[in-house]
Amino acid sequence: MRTNTSLVVAAAVSLASLLPARPGYAQSLTAEAAISAGVSTDNHVAAAATQVRVFGDADAGIRYYTEASWARTSDVGSDAFGAAYPYGNRVQVVEAYGERMFRPHDALLSVRAGRFRTPFGISSGSDHAYSGFTRAPLVRYDGYFALSNSFLEQGVDVMAGVPRLSVEAGVGRPADIGTAVRRAGTDTIVRLQSYAGPWIFGVSHIRTSPYQPASFAFGRADFTGVDARFMRDGVQLRGEFIAGRPFDGVTTTGWYGDALVHRVGMGPVTAVARLEQLDYDTPVSAFVLHTKRQTVGARVRALKNLSVQVSVLHQSGQLQSAYGSMALDVGITYTIRRP
Amino acid sequence: MANAVVWLDAAPAPAPIARRMVLDQRNLQFSPRVLAVQVGTTVDFPNNDRVFHNVFSFRDGKVFDLGMYPVGAVRHITFDKPGLSRIFCNIHPGMAAYVMAVDSPYFAVSNDDGAFSIAAIAPGPYKYRAWRAGAADMSGTWTDGILSISWP
Repeated sequence: MRTNTSLVVAAAVSLASLLPARPGYAQSLTAEAAISAGVSTDNHVAAAATQVRVFGDADAGIRYYTEASWARTSDVGSDAFGAAYPYGNRVQVVEAYGERMFRPHDALLSVRAGRFRTPFGISSGSDHAYSGFTRAPLVRYDGYFALSNSFLEQGVDVMAGVPRLSVEAGVGRPADIGTAVRRAGTDTIVRLQSYAGPWIFGVSHIRTSPYQPASFAFGRADFTGVDARFMRDGVQLRGEFIAGRPFDGVTTTGWYGDALVHRVGMGPVTAVARLEQLDYDTPVSAFVLHTKRQTVGARVRALKNLSVQVSVLHQSGQLQSAYGSMALDVGITYTIRRP
Repeated sequence: MANAVVWLDAAPAPAPIARRMVLDQRNLQFSPRVLAVQVGTTVDFPNNDRVFHNVFSFRDGKVFDLGMYPVGAVRHITFDKPGLSRIFCNIHPGMAAYVMAVDSPYFAVSNDDGAFSIAAIAPGPYKYRAWRAGAADMSGTWTDGILSISWP
């Protein structure tokens, strides 16, 4: 893996002399910290977290991004407040990468190396962490036999195309730090994305290692997903459908649809709603996981740097048996940024 | 005092000298944080981040929502009325900027040292106005020479 990384970075450096890059930017550094706390009626979960992000421009047109977090929850089995960072009760580096972007004519070529979120579907931290939802979609949460928002790759990815149509290909090894940690191996991820007007569409595929123990989870994990987003007049609709196998002999299928509404007249309030379903099927009927969940909530920017997130969910299926049919989550986040 | 906007009343102003300006989105922030434009100027909002951005201004000034768009894409807004617009990203709450549209060809934004300069001014006197975020607007009369503005 190290060999591949070096080769791609070297290729990017040599391309710098051939391709017109973006105009030069001065070195810069921005630091951002977010302190969060939350409680849920879901098994009386209490959670607290601190994230620090440092990003900016380095030399030679290379941009950097690092994010570290500390987070603790009273119940690691609950997915409450598990939207975008892991709860390990220790300081952990989440992302740390360098990126170089070229703009030959109107095209795009971006090379990224380091440790980054698995670029499958709707995957950036800001898509999930600050949107108004306190939980990750079921099909994107640790431990539900699919993909996790906390999955990380240690490797390289390349994005090429034009703004309206781009392809992204990544190769790396798992560098997960959540409760679901994939076994060692080589990951490959391919994503195709296009946008037209208010619509954005994507198709993603990943081949990776299972996070379940090797004693029973044989083979490789394969998932394919389609995602779509629509944004107009302060209304964002988005969703993903993901299907595949977490390991040999079992399948996981899941989807979610989100609505996020922040229209003129709503002031500091963003209203959110989600419908979702997860189906994990295995020949051992005692281990199947079928769950439906409906969530409504809001994010309120109470003060300049302070936001409050409230959500109410209803669920049925196996998660209802474990955690009940209803839950209320309340969280606050205080964010500071310098400069 | 950086990012203070100073302009001289000169309406009706001639057409903008530079009809296009850029408010970049890079490294999860707007650049510059404060942009002054003459009324009628079109501002480009390019997305130079790998993540999506959704630029909007709902509160006052020019009201718009550019929708969500990816890296490499550019959307535009023409500021056709004077006033202050507060610019945000609907996806990244930490992103914020100001666009001050003025009906005058004589305007400037102060640099990191708090200095500014406005060139090629026709003979005055003029009424000057000054704005900076979080402070009361200032105004007065200027004829020639150095104009010094300080907020209490």
